[in-house]
Amino acid sequence: MEPVIQVRGLHKAFGTHEVLKGIDFAAGKGEVVCIIGSSGSGKSTLLRCINLLETPDGGAILYHGKDILTDATINMPQYHAKVGMVFQQFNLFGNMTVLENCMTGQMKVLGRSREESMENAMKYLRKVGMEAYVSAKPRQLSGGQKQRVAIARSLAMDPEVILFDEPTSALDPEMVGEVLSVMQKLAQEGLTMLVVTHEMGFARAVADKVVFMDQGVIAEEGAPEEVLGSPKHERLQSFLRSML
Amino acid sequence: MPTASTSFFGWVAFLLQKYGMLFLRGTGMTLLVALTGTAFGFIIGLLVAIVRATSPVPTLARKSFAAAVRCALLKAIQLLLAAYIQVFRGTPMIVQAVVIYYGAQYAGVYMDTTFAAIFIISINTGAYMAEIIRGGIFSVDKGQFEAAHAIGMTHWQTMTTVVLPQAIRNILPSVGNELIVNIKDSSVLNVISVSELFFQAKSAAGAYYRYFEVYFIIAVIYLILTLTVSRILRFIELKMDGPDNYVIHGSQSDSRAEIVVSRENAEEVEKRWNQ
Repeated sequence: MEPVIQVRGLHKAFGTHEVLKGIDFAAGKGEVVCIIGSSGSGKSTLLRCINLLETPDGGAILYHGKDILTDATINMPQYHAKVGMVFQQFNLFGNMTVLENCMTGQMKVLGRSREESMENAMKYLRKVGMEAYVSAKPRQLSGGQKQRVAIARSLAMDPEVILFDEPTSALDPEMVGEVLSVMQKLAQEGLTMLVVTHEMGFARAVADKVVFMDQGVIAEEGAPEEVLGSPKHERLQSFLRSML
Repeated sequence: MPTASTSFFGWVAFLLQKYGMLFLRGTGMTLLVALTGTAFGFIIGLLVAIVRATSPVPTLARKSFAAAVRCALLKAIQLLLAAYIQVFRGTPMIVQAVVIYYGAQYAGVYMDTTFAAIFIISINTGAYMAEIIRGGIFSVDKGQFEAAHAIGMTHWQTMTTVVLPQAIRNILPSVGNELIVNIKDSSVLNVISVSELFFQAKSAAGAYYRYFEVYFIIAVIYLILTLTVSRILRFIELKMDGPDNYVIHGSQSDSRAEIVVSRENAEEVEKRWNQ
């Protein structure tokens, strides 16, 4: 199977601090990859590089075999539309209602009509259970509700892959479940997902592959039952113990 | 004609009757130059702030000669704009007025005084507005820039649809300040004979040597202008904030349909809705 996203020898440093020291991995179509690791291990930076929110210093990021860093035939806005991102802090547009948040990208980037955008936005707001709140402003919503809207905003662009950067880390404990269940539903429907998470239960239940990052490299990867069930790496063992 | 024994109020009444039209025309001119000057200053400030907030490093990893040239050009323009702000914030408007008005005559350009007044207020205000708007742009949290870029919006689209609407709302109180300052400080333009309120008062006061009475009258007029403007701005702020309530939309068979949620009943409605 040809991978949708493939990362080869990715390097990234902030000043003299090397955050990514040569990352290689791939995610195939419909695959759910959970990236785990302690903070500072480079998980978020990896996702942000794939989305070009950070510019990598070296290596390649292949999208359907084309390097997004060098291949001039890739249209960047289109690439961003195809590779969505959900953030820890939701980052909803504060000046827009829930519905407008899910429409604006479709109209501005994909050039869809207002009617088509609205219809599509409503479809995904229904999917995340937020259709009743279309006229609310982000500041009027709870954290879990905001994150579900953020997921709908991403989905409304009809992406091929969504990158989730610790989507439940900023939520109150009782709101984690509603967001995870939406994500589980998306995984079952065959969306390709790269998820940076501290939710081991979610990783175990939903992931096709778990990647453990440690100090800028991938220390261990494999099926969740292997990586989480019988970890070989000593740092992974102590990391998993600390998560209990 | 009042006599030496005429009271303060007698003089005020007399002067209002005699020079009422003059004060009114002066008020009109003051409002004209302050409002248009602030409006143009706002536009100048907006453009300057957007250029100054543009990152000279291309966000894409792709490096090319054309990108490098664009980068250098942007940096040069940013330097010029920084100089503009420093110069116009660092010198008094009364000095700017004289230098520009008479300086232009040196170059053979004889400006209409009204045009000169609007021009001077605009570029002076533009320098302040640029900094105010830059602050407003930074007040919008960085995550929203990232979210907009992450769905493929360009820098310009991000600015116009996401960042500036929020930045402008956040800086509205400061913009109101600028307008109020301009209503008052346009009085310095009397040095280039702009026929605004202070200039008119000067000629009215000179006619009967009634300085206190005349300046008392225009003080009241300035106060009325600034109070009215502050009220209008506050109203616009509230309008921009929109309602505190929102409607939960349900189906027609649903008893919970169309519930208005306000801060007071939010939790209760949520509970009912989630049941």
